[in-house]
Amino acid sequence: MDSAAAFEKVTAIIKPFVKNAEAFKAATPATRIIEDLGVNSARLVDIILAFEDEFGIAVDDESADKVRTLGDAVQMILQKTAAAS
Amino acid sequence: MDRPWLRVQEAVSQALIFFTYAALAAWMRFGKRYRVEDLQRVRGEFMALAGRERGPLLICANHLTLIDSLVLQWALAPGWRVAGRRRLFAWNLPDHRNLASRWWWRVIGYLGKCIPVVRNGTPEQAREMIDKVAWLLARDQSVVIFPEGGRSRIGRVDRDRVTYGVGRILQAAPGTAVLCVFLRGRGQKVHSDYPAIGETIVVRQKRITPVTAAEGMRGARDLAMQIVGCLSEMEDRFFDDAGVDR
Repeated sequence: MDSAAAFEKVTAIIKPFVKNAEAFKAATPATRIIEDLGVNSARLVDIILAFEDEFGIAVDDESADKVRTLGDAVQMILQKTAAAS
Repeated sequence: MDRPWLRVQEAVSQALIFFTYAALAAWMRFGKRYRVEDLQRVRGEFMALAGRERGPLLICANHLTLIDSLVLQWALAPGWRVAGRRRLFAWNLPDHRNLASRWWWRVIGYLGKCIPVVRNGTPEQAREMIDKVAWLLARDQSVVIFPEGGRSRIGRVDRDRVTYGVGRILQAAPGTAVLCVFLRGRGQKVHSDYPAIGETIVVRQKRITPVTAAEGMRGARDLAMQIVGCLSEMEDRFFDDAGVDR
């Protein structure tokens, strides 16, 4: 899976939790999930668990804590899927 | 890791408990003219469900007003019991902004065993809060927590706003007893700073044992959702009993 495909899947997973639709339309890897997209921080756990289900990976607390932007999420997913394969 | 400042806070607040509790009860009863419906039954039920035993206790409640934790403390145990058993005087985790505006709020918060927390803070701040609570629970203390993370904005238990911190706390402090407490003023429609003057407050309790086979974040979510599910059922029953459409 390349980063563009991962980015597409990540945004699809995050979409239901987004409060700022305008920022979501213009989302880039640098877009911050909480600050820019208005995602409730409590819902980050749901998003991380959805990543686990979608990509068949296990995300530990430390890795989850480092996810601040869409790009962070993509990088984490690529690293974990690569390590798993 | 030892936490000497929490030990000091506990000792100071316990030493002044008669004053603190009397001031709280007077403010509730005479200042605000609040009444807890069937107060003696509520207190007896609390002692039977969780008050008599030793061990850590997490009191999980729904949240509609700024003073829910004060109402809980007053409703669940009388001053003489609280003075005799420090476990019955529960720790609270208010948003730090609620205590920051006035120095006397900070004093009251300190004496009221409050640990200010940063809502929606960094992962490090969240971990520090969980570590503090786990430390208290390991010392057989009781802690009040609102799983919704803040006052519900929909006037009902809000499953969509649930934070999973309560689940992480239970993972960090296994063996903790969980008491779900539903409280609501008879006239309370939506969230507010305080219940209305003269309000009659209903308090209902249920002891549960949340369990999950999952670990990590998934396990925390499972545990938290069982607690919120219990609060939600208690709320449904409250409205059924009151004959109000949900």
